[in-house]
Amino acid sequence: MSFKDIMNIISVIAIPFVIFTFLIYGFAKKVKVYESFVEGAKEGFNVAVRIIPYLVAMLVAIGIFRASGAMDVLVAILSPITNLIGFPAEALPMALMRPLSGSGSLGIMTEIMKTYGPDSFLGILVSTMYGSTETTFYVLAVYFGSVNIRKTRHAVIAGVISDLTGLLTAFFICKLVFG
Amino acid sequence: MMNYIWLALIIIGIITAVGTDIYESSVNKYRNNVEFNALIELKEKPSAETQVKGILKVSGEYYKNFYALKNFNQDTIKNEITLRLKSETAGTVILSISETTPDFWKLMAKGKGTNTDKLIANVVKLEEVNENTYKASLIFERVSLVKIKQVLNAVIEYADIAVKIAIGLIGIMALWLGVMKIGELAGLINLLAKVVKPLTKRLFPDIPPEHPAVGAIIMNISANMLGLGNAATPLGLKAMEELQKLNPKKDTASDSMVTFLVINTSGMTLIPATAIAVRAALGSGDPAAIISTTIVGGFAATVAGVTAAKILQRLKVFKKEIEENGENKKELEQ
Repeated sequence: MSFKDIMNIISVIAIPFVIFTFLIYGFAKKVKVYESFVEGAKEGFNVAVRIIPYLVAMLVAIGIFRASGAMDVLVAILSPITNLIGFPAEALPMALMRPLSGSGSLGIMTEIMKTYGPDSFLGILVSTMYGSTETTFYVLAVYFGSVNIRKTRHAVIAGVISDLTGLLTAFFICKLVFG
Repeated sequence: MMNYIWLALIIIGIITAVGTDIYESSVNKYRNNVEFNALIELKEKPSAETQVKGILKVSGEYYKNFYALKNFNQDTIKNEITLRLKSETAGTVILSISETTPDFWKLMAKGKGTNTDKLIANVVKLEEVNENTYKASLIFERVSLVKIKQVLNAVIEYADIAVKIAIGLIGIMALWLGVMKIGELAGLINLLAKVVKPLTKRLFPDIPPEHPAVGAIIMNISANMLGLGNAATPLGLKAMEELQKLNPKKDTASDSMVTFLVINTSGMTLIPATAIAVRAALGSGDPAAIISTTIVGGFAATVAGVTAAKILQRLKVFKKEIEENGENKKELEQ
């Protein structure tokens, strides 16, 4: 069994296992399981609704940026710089889109792999980049929005530093292993 | 910080859109008021006040030169049309947009904003060449301000997506909050916090050990590692709720919140499920080849992010924001 198979099995059974354990353990500890579940679950709606203004603000700004074609302009400006370290210009839209939009970066990844093949260097690179970091601005809006945090302090800078490191490491490790 | 980035995204977007539209109208990208010459094959003889279906034919070469396209390799273009004659030689041609329609016409149709399934052209000249075959000079309807229209559409579309995402969270959110409540009352979350204390003590020094926040944080991180996005978000939001209880200044992020957020924005995962699935769907010989490189990338992102958060939180600019609280509180009390 490969690492992937083992991980697949674990990720399939993890959620049922956790829920089962919680229920049985709770029951054993004489917790009124049904009543407590409902008590906790009723907050679900409020949390989701609290996120809405934050998510609308964030996604609309990202939507304007994406639809305007500003990404192409940014790629043209940045590609001479990224060329210096040998970073392929074709993968630059991926690097720029990843922190902003999950669906956008998924689209770019799919498009690049369709054009150049999933096993080409570019294909490997963009799929590694996709997995190496998350949609920072979306996570930021949802997580802080859920508790009404408006002043995010150093979260954006730290998040962008993390994205940059993840994307660059993805490039160097792919070059080392597959380049 | 967020204020600047938010504003920058919007302003850069709008300036780019306006700039692009001004440039495109200066070179007349969509050839407004320029005659387009094509052959039209009709199914029957047209007469005034009737509609006749037919096919518009033009060589790829002509099309490419007419719109000054860079990449266009089609030999001939055939597109379904409807001809509506008002008199012998004047009328309109309605070009229906379908799968086989060249991309540039699709773009033009989309750029109009309304009736995006057809392009309408005025017939300037109509000469019979053969039986039911005509040479036509057409002027397409005006297409302009395409980018600005796209930006406007995006605003509406994304506002809608935002609400749909939030609404979509309700069910799974309720499920996990319910499960977590049981775990909390049973003391399971505290037990979990106790087990991972040596690790979380360093990462989140301002959370009291064995606080339920720690349990939620660990469950969120575990779900992320296993690629269980559906469970990770509700557990993460539960952790944020617990962290907010400890936060003295309710509208400002605490140090622990930022550290926790950065762990979530970096992709520390053991199984990049989405990327593997897409690779497999596109016929990769080894879809899982990226697991090792992704683990390295995600790990580096997490270490860098957490380190950055820990260093930045000591800077005066960011420290000030949480310390101001004490003074405000005093003012309020007075």
